[in-house]
Amino acid sequence: MARDLLMALTIALLLGAAAFFAARMLPLVRVMRRARPTSRLDHWPRRLGFMAGQVLAHKRLLQMKMSGVLHFFIFSGFVILFIDIVDAVGQVFAPGFNIGPALDCVVDIFVALVLIGIVLAVYQRAVLKPERYHGSDERDGYVILGMIAVIMIGIILHESFYPFAAPLLFHVRPGLDPWGFLGYALARVWMATGLAAHPAIAETGYITGYILDIGMVFAFLAYLPTSKHLHIFLAVPSIFLHKTRPHGELVEPLPPEEGMAIRSVADMNWKDVMDLFTCTECGRCQAVCPAHASGQRLSPKMVIIELRDAVRRELAGEPPVPLAGGVVSAEELWACTTCGACQEACPVFIEHVPKIAGLRAALLEDGEIDKSAQKVLVGWDRQGNSFGQPVRKRPAWAKGLDVPIKDARKEPVDWLWFVGDFASYEPRVQNLSRLVARLLQQAGVDFGILYEGEVNSGNDALRMGEYGLFETLAQKNLAMLEKAQFNQIFTTDPHSFNALRNEYRKLGFERPVRHYTQAFLDLIEEGKLNPSPLNLKVTYHDPCYLGRWNRVFDAPRQLLERMGIELVEMPRHGANSFCCGAGGGRIWMEENGVSDRPANIRIREALSLEDVNYFVVACPKDMSMFSAAVQSTNGEERMKVIDVAELLAQAVGLNEPVETAAAT
Amino acid sequence: MGPILIVTESTASGITDSTKECVGKAKELAKVLGTSTVALGFGPGAVDRLRRLDVNKVIAAEDGEFAVYNPAVCENALVQVVAETAPFLTMIPNTTMGLDLGAGLAGRNNIPLIAYCSDLQEQDGKITAVSQVFAGKLLARVPVPGDGAIVTVLPGSWPTGEETGDPVVETISGDYSSRMRVIRVIEPEKGDVDITKADILVSVGRGIESPDNLPLADELAEAMGGVVSCSRPVVDAGWLPKARQVGKSGQTVKPKLYLACGISGAPEHLQGMRDADLIIAVNTDEEASIMEAAHFGTTVDMLDLMPALAERLRGG
Amino acid sequence: MRVAVLLKAVPDLVEELVLDEESGSLQYDEMSYVPSEWDDQALEEALILKEESGAQVTAIAVSTGDVDTMLFTALAKGADHVVKITGDFDASMSNWQQARVLSDYVREQDFDMVLSGVQAIDDVDGQIPGLVAGFLNWPHASVVTEVRMGGDSKVLLRQEYSGGLVAEIEVESPVVIGVQAARKPPRYASVAKVRQVAKSVAIEEVSAGAPAGPAFADIQFVRPVAAGRAEMIEGDVDAVADRIVQILADHNLLRRA
Ligand SMILES: Cc1cc2nc3c(=O)[nH]c(=O)nc-3n(C[C@H](O)[C@H](O)[C@H](O)COP(=O)(O)OP(=O)(O)OC[C@H]3O[C@@H](n4cnc5c(N)ncnc54)[C@H](O)[C@@H]3O)c2cc1C
Ligand code: SF4
Ligand code: SF4
Repeated sequence: MARDLLMALTIALLLGAAAFFAARMLPLVRVMRRARPTSRLDHWPRRLGFMAGQVLAHKRLLQMKMSGVLHFFIFSGFVILFIDIVDAVGQVFAPGFNIGPALDCVVDIFVALVLIGIVLAVYQRAVLKPERYHGSDERDGYVILGMIAVIMIGIILHESFYPFAAPLLFHVRPGLDPWGFLGYALARVWMATGLAAHPAIAETGYITGYILDIGMVFAFLAYLPTSKHLHIFLAVPSIFLHKTRPHGELVEPLPPEEGMAIRSVADMNWKDVMDLFTCTECGRCQAVCPAHASGQRLSPKMVIIELRDAVRRELAGEPPVPLAGGVVSAEELWACTTCGACQEACPVFIEHVPKIAGLRAALLEDGEIDKSAQKVLVGWDRQGNSFGQPVRKRPAWAKGLDVPIKDARKEPVDWLWFVGDFASYEPRVQNLSRLVARLLQQAGVDFGILYEGEVNSGNDALRMGEYGLFETLAQKNLAMLEKAQFNQIFTTDPHSFNALRNEYRKLGFERPVRHYTQAFLDLIEEGKLNPSPLNLKVTYHDPCYLGRWNRVFDAPRQLLERMGIELVEMPRHGANSFCCGAGGGRIWMEENGVSDRPANIRIREALSLEDVNYFVVACPKDMSMFSAAVQSTNGEERMKVIDVAELLAQAVGLNEPVETAAAT
Repeated sequence: MGPILIVTESTASGITDSTKECVGKAKELAKVLGTSTVALGFGPGAVDRLRRLDVNKVIAAEDGEFAVYNPAVCENALVQVVAETAPFLTMIPNTTMGLDLGAGLAGRNNIPLIAYCSDLQEQDGKITAVSQVFAGKLLARVPVPGDGAIVTVLPGSWPTGEETGDPVVETISGDYSSRMRVIRVIEPEKGDVDITKADILVSVGRGIESPDNLPLADELAEAMGGVVSCSRPVVDAGWLPKARQVGKSGQTVKPKLYLACGISGAPEHLQGMRDADLIIAVNTDEEASIMEAAHFGTTVDMLDLMPALAERLRGG
Repeated sequence: MRVAVLLKAVPDLVEELVLDEESGSLQYDEMSYVPSEWDDQALEEALILKEESGAQVTAIAVSTGDVDTMLFTALAKGADHVVKITGDFDASMSNWQQARVLSDYVREQDFDMVLSGVQAIDDVDGQIPGLVAGFLNWPHASVVTEVRMGGDSKVLLRQEYSGGLVAEIEVESPVVIGVQAARKPPRYASVAKVRQVAKSVAIEEVSAGAPAGPAFADIQFVRPVAAGRAEMIEGDVDAVADRIVQILADHNLLRRA
């Protein structure tokens, strides 16, 4: 009788929960189907392998120690929970069912781990209160933790009463099972206190435990779709569906009639939409965001949450609010440096930057953009550079050289050098460009540049949401590259590097591209440059568009090693490098709301290293940003910003007086 | 040959310098050309204001409708005066008034106009106007046709004339009304200064060393009739508000004088002030990049120079 | 309310002004052109007016060269209609002539208001809005920083004077306004949007007869003596201070009370 009731209850709960879950999930699926396409089902083996590493081994999650460990506990608990459900439901539907002592034991081990995880999680949320949780739905967090705790308690409870209740309910007589050690210990307590002897208590105890366990599991299922814990369902598929196109590519090739602007939910691709519901609100992205750290309103986490809530409100029948400038404010959107640190940190591989760029594109279509940045866009359109300088002055830096540089538009060259705006026009960086030219000349490289034929690569224009301008610029460069005869192409500018390597593909350009650190390293390996040891102690800043977006971490480091330089890493380096604040067009925008510049934060990070007096950069924009930052942090006495090329010039005896702004 | 007509302009503090510059130049030209000078003034009290001008004749429109400057009403009066006096040259200071009246008169009376005039040169009885165009990158030399022209004159083109004349005074009145009505005139708010509107900027960089030295800059600016601006580190240090910052991430300024004190001339700074008419750099480092952009430079200590300069300017 | 915005292209000062030093004539064919920045301001103010009170905005340019992109950009920003006045014109066409052609067109149409940039870098022979107003015999105000609609076909303006003084002016239309600055910085027109407009909307072309002759036959241009590196002022603080006072005096920069 009681068993029939339990069975009926189980089935009713299951059906109810499933129906509830489906009813709540369906609208999401519909939204995703309305969204734009993106191909995420290719490269199966690669995707599976990636998923295994990230899901089973928690690779990325474990980059944050405490959180990673406690998540691993809770996550494993969920896997184990499944065994428990089979066990518990089995006991009800097939009297005498037993899943086996080994699994019983595993279940209990994990129940213990989960409970520890929950205690840690509550401690973290309530006591440590990391900043990254700021803005997350705290209540949801506690509700979920509470539900999980209840399930765990339910498991142990019904397990402990099972031996005493089973004869009454299911007419079987299982013995005490020491393998399920938690239940066993509790059962001992019931026996010692005599509670086990009361049939009513034994039955009530068992049924209560069962309902807490199974009932809560189903309640959980019903609750999930409105909670950030939807990631329990979506995270794994989401990781499987991660981007496999080149990492540094911002947007997939666009059909000509479609812009990249994201005005409404339908303008996102379906993976973008899925991302929103996969977010766990963990705030790891927020914790690494330079814009957030500088006191601006942007938090990548909040961008995702705001978009998700907007989709939810729309599903609830509320009139849609424009996403760009409404749901996510213009101030937030323009604060992003597109450094990619958020994406690097996100445990469920959410792609924030394409969404932010798409939303920017929508703002731009309405003419809304920072006025200094607007001037730069107009300048790119008219003169092809961000300096408001004439086209004819682009190669002016090359004038001071003893040996003129070949014009690759007119004669074949071995190496084609794509110089970039900063290296061409910014007076301090022009010195570096000349130095690079002299190094190449010393190494006997046959190289040339495109002179007035080069225009800005369009990398930043694209990241400011100006797809049309990006295309215009790219096509101008490609027309020149088509005309020029060369064997290899290299660039001194990471932003151009990224565009040439990842963005120009969609326009048909597929030649390999090297950064100058790679090119110089090759020259050393080939014995064409022979640096002698410099015996310096330096730190190195990974530029976002060289490191994070293009995974070039080793070449600059090896280059330093070849020069006999001791590298002391900053706490944040490699893929976790901290942006200088210049990217994504930020370098031209107002600093509204910036209380502490990212570049200053970074310089202070470097100043905290002992005995390091050189801050090595490998990006022309970094030269400008950090030279100024050293000044405004009063670090000139201690720290000198220096480009790798300057070090190399010293190491090979090109005795160029080292000119940096930090020189006093 | 018709006379030279000067359209005068006055503010609360009297006739403007620009008007006086025109008067001085007009007298000089009238002498070589053998013609006379006439000054036209608007508003109650115009007779009193103009009566000492060094011109042959003053025409004053003093009626109530001239109580505040109304572009259309003044234009109507000017059109009539020009029709009646048939001047060879009509000189108007190139202020808002000049921009209003010059082209309007040219169109209505079909008289050619030369804008942004910075000089009028006479040779063999022929006048050539020099006009500053293309943001000062070119000078246009425009021969004034035989039957004359209107010129709108940039302030600061010539020395001011003396106020020692004894002109014949005539007042005019008539129906100059228009569809245009001035509702009210608003005095500028006394908020923080707008450095983009200042003619003279005393700009300080890290060479100022400490906020305690800022009063030196304030006093100098005060003595020069300018305002204080600065480079970014000075703002970063919290010594001056962001609104005073010149450069890439601050304001772009184009004052008549930019006195750069203790500013090295980083490209981001130069970007904001390179187009100033006159740049004087004070920097102890002769090699500082600011010297490339400046017209004059000195390597004396700014902290000594600022008070010395302020004292001279206050004294004289 | 129908608003005409007069647009014009001027040589791009970022690039070189090409001058035949001998004859003093500008080589108009060899220069690149950009929309005059004050005209951009005028267009912006007109568009703000449209958003505020539903004005119909027509952008008009004389075809002195390639003005199509400029007109398409105006459309992309929100102008309702664009007109190109064609004829036997080229980039050397003077303001006087352009103003004639423009005022002839405006007279035929039924505009309530004409907005244009208060000045342009190349108006040796007068500013477009003032000349157009003069030719039309309409009231005109320059250096305007705000245009609003009042009641009964009245227009409210703010005109600026030196020293930050501002007048509020009311005028019955029709009127010509020289805009110094719009209330908001001009909006951006994205490349994609301009391209899309160029594909879908046509420019109305109106042909005009031969323009009247220019006001001046013979204008010669010269380059002012360029300032190179700073001229260093030598001596002690007193000598330097004296010299600076002298320089200020030479530049008419001493304050005259
Ligand atoms: C993206 C970006 C945007 C930027 N935007 C701006 C901007 O808008 N505006 C701006 O100004 N900077 C800007 N900068 C910063 C810029 O790079 C420089 O750091 C800054 O302009 C230097 O300011 P400074 O000349 O006052 O200081 P410094 O470069 O330190 O120069 C101080 C100068 O004072 C001189 N000096 C010292 N003592 C005396 C004395 N007693 N008498 C005379 N001279 C003396 C020294 O010789 C030196 O040349 C920006 C930087 C970046 C990267
Ligand atoms: S890309 Fe960088 S700046 Fe932008 S949201 Fe992500 S972390 Fe923040
Ligand atoms: S976007 Fe990713 S990193 Fe950011 S809160 Fe969501 S899950 Fe965490």
